[in-house]
Amino acid sequence: MFHVKLDFENIVIGGGHAGVEAALASARMGISTLLITMEKSAIARMSCNPAIGGLAKGHLVAEIDALGGEMAKVTDKTGIQFRMLNRSKGRAVWSPRAQADKLQYSLEMISLVVAQKNLEILEDTAIGIITEHNQIVAVQTKKCGFITCKTAIITAGTFLNGLIHIGVKQKRGGRLGEKSALGITESLNAVGIKSGRLKTGTPPRIHRDSINFDQLTPQYGDKNPKPFSFQTKNFNPINIPCYITYTNPGTHAILFSGLDRSPLYTGRIKGVGPRYCPSIEDKIVRFRERTSHQIFLEPEWEDSYQYYVNGFSTSLPVDIQEKGLHSIRGLENAEIIKPGYAIEYDFFPSYQLKRTLETKVIGGLYLAGQVNGTSGYEEAAALGLVAGINAALKNRDEQPFFLTRSEAYIGVLIDDLITKSPTEPYRMFTSSAEYRLLLRFDNADQRLSHYGHRFGLIQHNQFLLSQCRKHLIEKSIRYLHQTSLSPSVINPRLADKLENPVKSGISLFKLLCRPNIHLADLYPLLPESFLRTFSKLDGLAEQVELDVKYHGYIQRQINLIKTQSRQEQIRLPDNIEYLKINSITKEAREKLNLMRPETIAQAGRIPGVSPADITALLILLKKQGVSRETE
Amino acid sequence: MAVIRLSGPDARSITKKIFRSRQPLSHRKAVIGELIDRNGFIDTAISTFFAAPDSYTGEDLVEISLHGNPYLCDLVIDACNEFGAHLAGPGEFTQRAFLNGKMDLSQAEGVADLIYSSSRAAQKISANLLKGSFGREIKRLKSQLVEALSIIELEMDFMDEEIDHTPLEKLQNKIAAIIKKTDGLIKSYEVGKILREGIFCPIIGPPNSGKSSLFNAFLQEERVIVSPRPGTTRDYIEEVVRIGNYQIRFMDTAGLRKSTDEIESRGIQKTRVLMLSANTILYVIDSSKPLKGLPDLPSHLLKKTLFILNKSDLTDSKNLRRLNEIFGKYPHLSCSALKNEGVHRIAKTIIEQLEAKIHNFGDTHIISRQRHKNALISTKKFLKLAWRNLHNKSAPEIIAIDLREALGGLDIILGKTENEDILNHIFSHFCIGK
Ligand SMILES: Cc1cc2nc3c(=O)[nH]c(=O)nc-3n(C[C@H](O)[C@H](O)[C@H](O)COP(=O)(O)OP(=O)(O)OC[C@H]3O[C@@H](n4cnc5c(N)ncnc54)[C@H](O)[C@@H]3O)c2cc1C
Ligand SMILES: Nc1nc2c(ncn2[C@@H]2O[C@H](COP(=O)(O)OP(=O)(O)OP(=O)(O)O)[C@@H](O)[C@H]2O)c(=O)[nH]1
Ligand SMILES: [Mg+2]
Repeated sequence: MFHVKLDFENIVIGGGHAGVEAALASARMGISTLLITMEKSAIARMSCNPAIGGLAKGHLVAEIDALGGEMAKVTDKTGIQFRMLNRSKGRAVWSPRAQADKLQYSLEMISLVVAQKNLEILEDTAIGIITEHNQIVAVQTKKCGFITCKTAIITAGTFLNGLIHIGVKQKRGGRLGEKSALGITESLNAVGIKSGRLKTGTPPRIHRDSINFDQLTPQYGDKNPKPFSFQTKNFNPINIPCYITYTNPGTHAILFSGLDRSPLYTGRIKGVGPRYCPSIEDKIVRFRERTSHQIFLEPEWEDSYQYYVNGFSTSLPVDIQEKGLHSIRGLENAEIIKPGYAIEYDFFPSYQLKRTLETKVIGGLYLAGQVNGTSGYEEAAALGLVAGINAALKNRDEQPFFLTRSEAYIGVLIDDLITKSPTEPYRMFTSSAEYRLLLRFDNADQRLSHYGHRFGLIQHNQFLLSQCRKHLIEKSIRYLHQTSLSPSVINPRLADKLENPVKSGISLFKLLCRPNIHLADLYPLLPESFLRTFSKLDGLAEQVELDVKYHGYIQRQINLIKTQSRQEQIRLPDNIEYLKINSITKEAREKLNLMRPETIAQAGRIPGVSPADITALLILLKKQGVSRETE
Repeated sequence: MAVIRLSGPDARSITKKIFRSRQPLSHRKAVIGELIDRNGFIDTAISTFFAAPDSYTGEDLVEISLHGNPYLCDLVIDACNEFGAHLAGPGEFTQRAFLNGKMDLSQAEGVADLIYSSSRAAQKISANLLKGSFGREIKRLKSQLVEALSIIELEMDFMDEEIDHTPLEKLQNKIAAIIKKTDGLIKSYEVGKILREGIFCPIIGPPNSGKSSLFNAFLQEERVIVSPRPGTTRDYIEEVVRIGNYQIRFMDTAGLRKSTDEIESRGIQKTRVLMLSANTILYVIDSSKPLKGLPDLPSHLLKKTLFILNKSDLTDSKNLRRLNEIFGKYPHLSCSALKNEGVHRIAKTIIEQLEAKIHNFGDTHIISRQRHKNALISTKKFLKLAWRNLHNKSAPEIIAIDLREALGGLDIILGKTENEDILNHIFSHFCIGK
């Protein structure tokens, strides 16, 4: 451990999902990078459920892929069951989900990290940061002392002052069986970065051989699944089922009987937990009228003896957990390998970040992952990737990188973090994206691969592939616009579909706008070459159809983006004394002073800041601009 | 004179839909023409187009000058809104001008104060309004909309859960109910405005029928000149009479007839305009003279006309029978302005008509501000789209866009809706998460 170099350009603290993406991106961009992590074998370990993707999260994974991250490719390579969710809804909200092989996922990431040029790994614990003139200059570790750097990214997950609760028992830890990390929070507090406390939880893991599978309903993945990565070829994954069962009133009675020893209901847990991931005790208390809750049993890897009891997250005492499980059909003899538990940990409220994820207080210091107040592997990986790219750009003295709300879910995620600064763990939802129609899983590569390509994280031929798709879609739509059919040609076909006939010629585009007409209905009318193109590029036809069908709405969203874009570009200087601006409301003054937005558009999105306040700010900017020019 | 300004990329195209002129709109040229809406002619007006960036706001801008009558302005604004315009928020014009670099520093300072004070004043007023039953009503509407949107969002963000998803027909019915409610509020504006500003009753009719005499009789004073010579009244004069809880705004007008007299014909032009904005038109005819037929009025005006058969003291039974034939199907009353007989009945009838309308709204709140009406119109428009899209089984993400825009209409009244509000609703009503 002492042969480690004394200086790196970039240091990443923590080898979780955020950390690996950050470290890989930074190293691949030519920056000498050090990844410090407490346990090498725990790199990219999944703390909770053995799954990647899901609604909105699947979008994040595709975007990570288009920017040159690894999560999608590794999931495609190691996943054991794949499903496209929301298939019955519109394509904008289709989102893939995979059952992950926790072991293989982690091993695959470890081998990538180990093999990566410019990247060294140090198994150690970071205990503090060293700053000078509000710039980071070094990181202090337990065993290696000080290591200098120009930038550092903290991706410590749930480990900072982590406290594990099972019933009335508490113990320190970053995850069950792993130590917590001390020192980082205090070191950040000392330089003026504020921290808070959040909570999350996980269900018990049980032994395969103790489950009565013949009592349960299996659930398989899709037969012909789609990969997460646009770069994955010859995708042919295995398809291992999960199993479904249900709690019953008896289960609920048992759980109720343990509430007096619940850390949640006895006030032992102070941190705020995510409402969308409630514990089973939360569910039975808040929705008393429900007599049953669904439980999924998920294998944690291929051939796993360990099953994850999805839907049964709990911090009740172990004896209650066990009794509760035994009351459930198929789990009568369930043997607990690891109990469910809750964990409290430190996070840093995200208004303290710029949209590059650099802290506003300390130059060169970036925060990513669970420490930003998010939850989830996908959110963490996305943030890690953005922080990694920015740290590298900073080292290269290049312009920072950020995404807008209209470009990517990642843009929405980061903008929500810095303008809303959530106080409960933030999870991505499709409803958070106002430009949802434009931000689809199937066009992530077309939206974003030019960035990945620019940073050298996406290979040229992959980039060309996504450009080719984009180009062909545009060309197809132009063709549909320009090609008209006469009533004599089209009316018989319309009659077949019980559609109203047309009186004069109509373009294919207009026809396709009708709710009951689909592109496939027009195939007999399209040139041969067109159809050949469609058959070569999977999903192309569907993308064309969607662009046409929702043309009006897509256009409306594009217009909205245009009117917003100007405000996105007006920057607010760091030194505005908001508290002294009399022409805005007191509430807005205080909010602005705390959040210190980077642009006018960000300011407008802060709850409590009104359009009139924005006008006042614009006028002030103008005044300052004039006085600066005359100085 | 009043000036209505339209600013933005669609300014010219919207103007073209409500303003007919021989000459095209071209940069900095004043063009005379006619303002029209769905019901036809509103007023003659002068429109001047300023192409971006050489305008006050730096955007395409049209200035429409018309007669300074508030009713007319309302009509024109309504027409513009129908084609996609929206009423500017406090300071919005100046803000745009400012953003487009159309203002120097000294101007900007004054403007800042102005915007600040006007938006604060507006805020105060709306805060007060929202305290009462109006606020309750709008908030209820909003929570129903948030609920509908949550149902759609739930579909998309939580399909993996074992939630009892609301069937689409049920959601469609919910939306239909919200549309009905919104529509009721929009319709109440007419009454709301009357309650706030008084019932506007112009007294119209051919020359010498006794309009001025009736006007004086309502006021119980010799307010305007009366003479046996036709064409006595040339301009219009308005007076307010309080009756019980209500105010009636009577207006004496110039007699309707073809005239070559320049001044008088301008007066008649105005009279036509007034009829458009009237709540009740009192159409006075001389019942002592033979009448050929029903006065020639377009149906949308006829609907709100109360015919007054004046000079009842001079008429004979034969003439009365003939008049009854003509007016039998339409609301009419006879009176003698000279003898002050039947005049009170007229006022009473006007008020009874109003009360009947108010009664129709039941316990729905009655809105009285154009800003609110416009906001609700926009809400209704997008709700209808949402309903149609549900009906066509469009994708939920499309319906969500409609519902969010519908919510945007209410945001104008209540302030912005955060996505958090939607999620809050979901988390508190549905058992989410594993
Ligand atoms: C009990 C539990 C339940 C969870 N439940 C859910 C859930 O239901 N849903 C959900 O979406 N997400 C859940 N999560 C969260 C999910 O695991 C995280 O969002 C995700 O792993 C965060 O990734 P990360 O990279 O930020 O941090 P982590 O994956 O936590 O990785 C942090 C890494 O940093 C290392 N580290 C920490 N501090 C230091 C230090 N000072 N020096 C060196 N190395 C350090 C650790 O060793 C670890 O490898 C849960 C997590 C836990 C622990
Ligand atoms: N006998 C009788 N004469 C009336 C009555 N009302 C009005 N007159 C007379 O009719 C004449 C015209 O009355 P005005 O009130 O001036 O009529 P007007 O409709 O205002 O006429 P213009 O202003 O010229 O359009 C006057 O000589 C009035 O005295 C009525 O009820 N009975
Ligand atoms: Mg008169």
